[in-house]
Amino acid sequence: MPDELLPNAGRRSFLVRSTTMAGAGFLSIALPPALGGSDAEAAISATPAYTPSIWFTITPDGVTTMHIVKAEMGQHIGTAFAQIIAEELEVPWEKVRLDMPLESNENFGIYGLAYTVNSGSVTTEFDRLSRAGALGRMVLVEAGAKLLGAKLANCHASAGRVIDKASKRSVGYGDILQKVKLEKSFSYPNDFKAVKLKARSEYKIIGKSVPALDIPAKTNGSAKYAMDVFLPNMAYGALAIPRTRHMSKVLSVDDSAAKSIPGYLKSVVIADHMNKCMGWVVALAETYPAALAASKALIIETDPGPYGNLSLADIKAEFAELLDKPEEAANWVLEGDVEGSMTGADKTLDVEYSSDMICHAFMEPINCTVMQAADGSWHVHVGTQSTSFARMTLTAYLSMVTGRKQEELSVFVHQYLVGGGFGGKQDYDDVLAAAYCAHELGRPVKFIQSRESQFAISHPRTPTLHRLKAGIEDGKLTAMSHDMVSGWMGPRFAVGKKFNNGTDWLQLDSWDDKKQDIDQWSVGGSDHWYHVPNHRVRAWNSDRTTWAIQASALRTVSNSYNMFVVESFMDEAAHAAGRDPLEFRLSMLNGKGGNRGIPNTGYAPGTPSDYYLDQIWISLPWPTDKSWPEYESGTVGGALRLANCLRVAAGKAGWGSKKLPKGTGMGLAVSSAEERQSPTWVAGVAEVTVDTTTGVYKINKLTIAMDMGIAINPENVKAQIMGSALWGAGQVLSERLDFENGLLTQSNFHEYKPVRQVDVPEFDIELIQSGRHPMGVGEPASTIVAPAVANAIFAACGARVRHMPITPEAVLEALKAAKA
Amino acid sequence: MTNLTINGRSLASDSPPDTPLLWVLREELRMTGTRFGCGLGVCGACTVHINGQAVRSCQVKLEQVGTGAITTIEGLHPSNAHPVQKAWIEIQVPQCGYCQSGQIMQAASLLAQNPSPSDKQIQEAMNGNLCRCATYPRIAGAVKRAAQMMKEKKNA
Ligand code: FES
Ligand code: FES
Repeated sequence: MPDELLPNAGRRSFLVRSTTMAGAGFLSIALPPALGGSDAEAAISATPAYTPSIWFTITPDGVTTMHIVKAEMGQHIGTAFAQIIAEELEVPWEKVRLDMPLESNENFGIYGLAYTVNSGSVTTEFDRLSRAGALGRMVLVEAGAKLLGAKLANCHASAGRVIDKASKRSVGYGDILQKVKLEKSFSYPNDFKAVKLKARSEYKIIGKSVPALDIPAKTNGSAKYAMDVFLPNMAYGALAIPRTRHMSKVLSVDDSAAKSIPGYLKSVVIADHMNKCMGWVVALAETYPAALAASKALIIETDPGPYGNLSLADIKAEFAELLDKPEEAANWVLEGDVEGSMTGADKTLDVEYSSDMICHAFMEPINCTVMQAADGSWHVHVGTQSTSFARMTLTAYLSMVTGRKQEELSVFVHQYLVGGGFGGKQDYDDVLAAAYCAHELGRPVKFIQSRESQFAISHPRTPTLHRLKAGIEDGKLTAMSHDMVSGWMGPRFAVGKKFNNGTDWLQLDSWDDKKQDIDQWSVGGSDHWYHVPNHRVRAWNSDRTTWAIQASALRTVSNSYNMFVVESFMDEAAHAAGRDPLEFRLSMLNGKGGNRGIPNTGYAPGTPSDYYLDQIWISLPWPTDKSWPEYESGTVGGALRLANCLRVAAGKAGWGSKKLPKGTGMGLAVSSAEERQSPTWVAGVAEVTVDTTTGVYKINKLTIAMDMGIAINPENVKAQIMGSALWGAGQVLSERLDFENGLLTQSNFHEYKPVRQVDVPEFDIELIQSGRHPMGVGEPASTIVAPAVANAIFAACGARVRHMPITPEAVLEALKAAKA
Repeated sequence: MTNLTINGRSLASDSPPDTPLLWVLREELRMTGTRFGCGLGVCGACTVHINGQAVRSCQVKLEQVGTGAITTIEGLHPSNAHPVQKAWIEIQVPQCGYCQSGQIMQAASLLAQNPSPSDKQIQEAMNGNLCRCATYPRIAGAVKRAAQMMKEKKNA
């Protein structure tokens, strides 16, 4: 066995088998988990008589149920995964169903880490799911051939049947399962790698816009979100808005007024072990309205903690100070000699950009229901981006609350549809609070954030400040320096980890000799794909900001501000160089050096011009194993693919040719969110009309071209592009959060304003299916709208606004400045 | 005890009379298709019909319902046969889906009153319903498609 050559060989194999339950055969396939540390043997040994194992289960009625560990939060990921598996497994689409596995200690060993982030689901799972499907098919074809008494070579599978070419007879998968006991073991990774996948030209389901399987339940009210759970003897919990976002301490609670509310039970000060839920008091009652009323009737005395007087103005002042302390900066990009080439430049630009806080504001406020069962186990009902982290965090917390060892605690997390995630459903304060209440009350508790408390405890995108310089020589951008300061969200997620060891799972890394740590999630996007020979990005961390506002990841993470900055600045540089912004960009998107992307086979990392290639951490399931036959990074083609998108978008929008009325302009932007290692190539053109007397502007049209390699479900990709582009429109038009005296101040949707129906522009969307490895599509388009709009405003009236969101007042002010 | 007519059935509620209808529907009567988004009448997630009119159930107190006939998403058509539901599925409107009960109820009441709304009328009628996934372009398209389906049915 080639297996034996591998370390750990004996423990790495997987099994396809059918098992019998109530006389019927089931085929399920157990494979090594996607992420996380467990091995295949765990998967097998954890498979009792019937376990719907990691990817799918076929039942004798011919129904195939796909087990989806990724959160279903609007991207229809279950449908995409099912399409990928069904393609290779050859099951009829009408008989495909979805379910969501329970998160438990045991299942974690089978499924690995359940975590949905980074637009990474299709990117990281495509190859693996394809192979899982193909292996299932191989086993069934072999068994079917035997049943038919046919030669294996004459048999193939189609639409859930094994067909013998010679006799023209066939047998259904369901029949096979009832007649044959399947048991076949494959080695991992060798057999796995050897599976022959379909050629793209043979695809029947991938690339087809099949209706999403989760949609019908969402149009008749039957869809189940966590809030729709009812448990026997359940009470309700509502949060009293804490005095500060973080670090307040409750000194006393007076609930005498609350006591007169019928149904009020008690109030609970949440134990803030793990520095979560600090200053949280939850009112418990028999109904939610009573809990909510009681939460408002509590009189709470609080020590506001260190951030009690901190406001956005203080944060901004600190940002400006930090930018003047180069010794405290960490280098993120360092190529050539930026200072030297600036001095030699015949033209320079020196400008400041900034962005405000925004938050996820998902339509489903955070909620969760927790109960402790009679056997002592804990059950959490929640819609979350990571059931695994929810379970692990709660286990650690309960251990502190109860004084019992973590191994003695058994926590199960039941996943539900997620009513919007956007990066904001990966903190588990709510889970801890609900569990603590259930513990205190001795009853199950449904905890629901009111919209007001949801805003108050939201995890915003950090505010930012940027200073950019350009050196232009002979009309070329020869030097670019980007200094940026923000709160770094990474450290906040490294619970229990030493932040500054530079090698932990957060990929805190540094490119320079000083080896300072840097939080990739806060600087990503500034490492753009333009070839600029002398290029430097330095970053400063305002740690206080991170903690005070509880900064977090928000749709495309740092790209969501950095693309606004980089792409607006590129426009400024083009104008300063006296060149057309399209031609200027294309001349630098030349795919040179590190900007060529990571090739299919080896590359030499670490050379100065390849500085970006050192890091591949998210793009593929086996990023360092180049021997996978299908191994290919989504970065292949690099900047040239981005240039291609830009040409398509500009061409479709009529850049340079379409006659526009006075006061209307076009602006360009490109982006490769999310990270350099996991890029989806996208370019956009915004057409905007500005009323120069009021500063009010309207986005008339967005033209977007995206190269995602392969679109698993093209119509759904378009929906994702439109939705994310409108998300981007919101952050340039109207979304912002304030922070005053330690508290986020917007309270509801009359103060925090996502886009609405009237804001919707005309769309023209082009999918460029280059045939490369499929990449995520739910986020990238959100990054190009703000800069494209900013550039269009400039083109329309000469106003350059360097702050996001762009308010009418800011447009007027910039107009005045332009005329001066 | 308050008697209610919901989706053609007579049901009773024990909630205090000032309880928002939303919570009576969702948590007491367990008709969870109606969603909680803001509690302030500014998002539309909780939209139901009272006597055919779209209302924000978070803003209607139990005592205000009187003899009004309530229709919730569950009552529009449980197997998605209402033209608005059909159009929503055909155009594949929902993403996360959380706002969609409200969107659909809003659209159904619009079309009941105005069988062929203009683009502008659709925009105005639907503007109170937030969708954070921003499915707006498809919502507008699906309202038009539903209008067309209703016309076809009438002429058939
Ligand atoms: S929940 Fe009623 S309008 Fe938002
Ligand atoms: S579909 Fe997600 S909020 Fe509308």
